Amino acid sequence: MARVELEKVFKRYGSFETVHGIDLAIKDNEFVVLVGPSGCGKSTILRMIAGLEEISDGTMRIGDRVVNDIDPKSRNVAMVFQNYALYPHKNVFDNMGFSLKMAGLSRNEIKEKVEQAAKVLELTPYLDRKPAALSGGQRQRVAMGRAIVRDPDVFLFDEPLSNLDAQLRTQMRMELKKLHIKMKTTTIYVTHDQVEAMTLADRIVVIKDGTIHQVGTPIEVFEKPKTVFVAKFIGNPPTNIMAGQVAEQGGAKGILCENGMFLPFPHETALEIGRKVLAGIRPDAIAAEEAVNKFSPAWQYDVQVLFSEIVGGQSLLEFDINGTSMVAELDGRHKVDPGTTLKLGFDLDRLFVFDPETNLALDW
Amino acid sequence: MRTVSKDRILAGVTLLPSILLVGIFVYGFIGNTFWTSLTDWGGVGALSENPEKNYVGFYNYKDLFVGFLSSGFRQDLVNAIFYSVFLLIGAIGVGLFIAILLDNKPKAEGFFRTVFLYPMSLSFIVTGTIWRWLLAPSGGVNVLPTYVGAEPFNFRWLSSTQSILQFDWQNILSFAFNVISIVLIVIGLWLLGKRSKHAAKWLVAGIVIGILVYLFGDMLPKALIMEEKHGFNLATTGIILATIWQYSGYTMALYLAGFTGISQDLRDAAMLDGASTFNYYRHIAIPLIQPITISAIIILSHISLKMFDLIFAMTGPDNGQTGHPALNMYLTTFRANDFARGAAIAMLLFFLAALFIIPYLISSYRNKDERA
Ligand SMILES: Nc1ncnc2c1ncn2[C@@H]1O[C@H](COP(=O)(O)OP(=O)(O)OP(=O)(O)O)[C@@H](O)[C@H]1O
Ligand SMILES: [Mg+2]
Repeated sequence: MARVELEKVFKRYGSFETVHGIDLAIKDNEFVVLVGPSGCGKSTILRMIAGLEEISDGTMRIGDRVVNDIDPKSRNVAMVFQNYALYPHKNVFDNMGFSLKMAGLSRNEIKEKVEQAAKVLELTPYLDRKPAALSGGQRQRVAMGRAIVRDPDVFLFDEPLSNLDAQLRTQMRMELKKLHIKMKTTTIYVTHDQVEAMTLADRIVVIKDGTIHQVGTPIEVFEKPKTVFVAKFIGNPPTNIMAGQVAEQGGAKGILCENGMFLPFPHETALEIGRKVLAGIRPDAIAAEEAVNKFSPAWQYDVQVLFSEIVGGQSLLEFDINGTSMVAELDGRHKVDPGTTLKLGFDLDRLFVFDPETNLALDW
Repeated sequence: MRTVSKDRILAGVTLLPSILLVGIFVYGFIGNTFWTSLTDWGGVGALSENPEKNYVGFYNYKDLFVGFLSSGFRQDLVNAIFYSVFLLIGAIGVGLFIAILLDNKPKAEGFFRTVFLYPMSLSFIVTGTIWRWLLAPSGGVNVLPTYVGAEPFNFRWLSSTQSILQFDWQNILSFAFNVISIVLIVIGLWLLGKRSKHAAKWLVAGIVIGILVYLFGDMLPKALIMEEKHGFNLATTGIILATIWQYSGYTMALYLAGFTGISQDLRDAAMLDGASTFNYYRHIAIPLIQPITISAIIILSHISLKMFDLIFAMTGPDNGQTGHPALNMYLTTFRANDFARGAAIAMLLFFLAALFIIPYLISSYRNKDERA
């Protein structure tokens, strides 16, 4: 078990820079999830930690060691690949035991460790099978087994569940979490599935275009996004963002949006009148029907419904407010005809305010 | 149902021409050659309009193996076997080695690939001529050491008369049984290493045959009335070298294609599992592309069994030291007009090639069935 620290780490392919000097400190036993859109450099970062990719600049530490020039096999990290990368010609036992064999363990030791890991992962009946004769979920488990037999300092996962169907994914996700609670090994996990990120992570690292936008607990990232990108990327449907400026209306200070909507600030703020800002409101911070009455009339707005759909026990409502369309996620099932006028309540305690120039959250 | 049978008729009709052509021109002619090999067609009047052909059974075959005057053919056969074995080891070894070097992405990989593959595109006659010069007793390879101030080699690559690893053809039967016993034991040990259930069967069979031959080998009939030594003629090393030179590029291309097809993830996984580059190839890459090794063995072995033009170009058709059954067949048939005997040699070569190819076909069909 070990800490992992990245200090000003860069990755360049020739003159093309993909990772722009990131700083990240991962604590011992921590489960950290890297999320970001496709191509943002998540796999690259993971592969640099594994040593499969050289770092172009900066310092990387695992435990107390600087590992910049240490090759993968001496870093004592284990990685689970998106496509599992099982050895097709070896059976499950040999797949799991290969690293132990390379480490020079005796046959009996290998047998003992592999069988123990197989028991944990419920793979015992399949030890003689080749990967081709396993289901996706079983292969996934073998890939995990191959990682855990070695008892590594750090686990690296690169989208390990993305090839599984939704149900299996949920199940494997929970098993992963349980495994981490049991083994407590430092884990770095790459995904672009937010649910995985939110449920698994001790801390989430949101990455875009090779830079870190925010590092924080799932709740921090959800409720206090540091950039417009984080507000939009985390959460589904994404945060509604409106341009506007700070103004005073009826004695209250707030944001006057370009569409004429006025969002009063829930608390005192030093933001000066006239300052241009971006306002963000999460779809689940919007309520309908009786729930509206929880909010003061100033937080209630009349809107025109464009479209509604029911998703399980919740409803998504796309509506128009003075020519801007927004999305609300409502509790309960609401089937509303398009064109209906409706009163919605906005929970402005959860209002986000960003600077339109830098796209960074404002301190207000 | 009707459409199915109609399809079948159509398929049959479409296939008919090729079935007929292959039937006549491949299998029909093999049959005809076999029939010829069972006659005494040859000698005086062999080329007359209606040559005399009498059925003589397997006389020609028997004569090739135990006939008093056929020792030349027997040496050719031994040559062909050594030639195949060394070509396999050499071309696969060298090709594999170069493929591994290139697989590790050196600079100018494409250039080297072309360079190594280039010999493939030469005709055997050209290769043979080049190498005959290179291997001449006082030129080419032999003078290389003088460039660093050393004495020149004086090895006679193509004209040595030495022969090593000799055995007595008289005892060919017990020799064959010994070989079978050793092969069985080796397969058994190999299966044992892989912890296969079938290891014991092979081992027991091999050991039993070995003991029987050891105890009762003297009772086996002698093949000849007198001693007749055959072995590895050193003069064939030159030919083996030239063939390895020509075919290593080919095996390299086969292996390189195989290695390139292995996903980077697998290599990464092996590296993280602690495998060195050597262990990666030994435990992951080479076993993974075993089908390529098998194809290479099949292709090279039947090439070596049919080798004709290269030997012709390097030492001429009449050099006894470097003879080969294919050359012998040609000379017997078309120079000596001994058609029946030539046909018998052709059938033996056909049989030897089948020995390599049939197991391959069986195993590949079986794999296909397993996958289906
Ligand atoms: N060998 C390479 N040469 C040049 N650019 C590369 C190379 N490998 C990756 N890149 C670039 O680096 C960037 C980051 O790639 P990376 O694979 O880390 O993305 P990712 O975040 O894992 O995406 P995904 O979610 O699709 O897997 C991409 O823009 C990619 O094109
Ligand atoms: Mg990736």
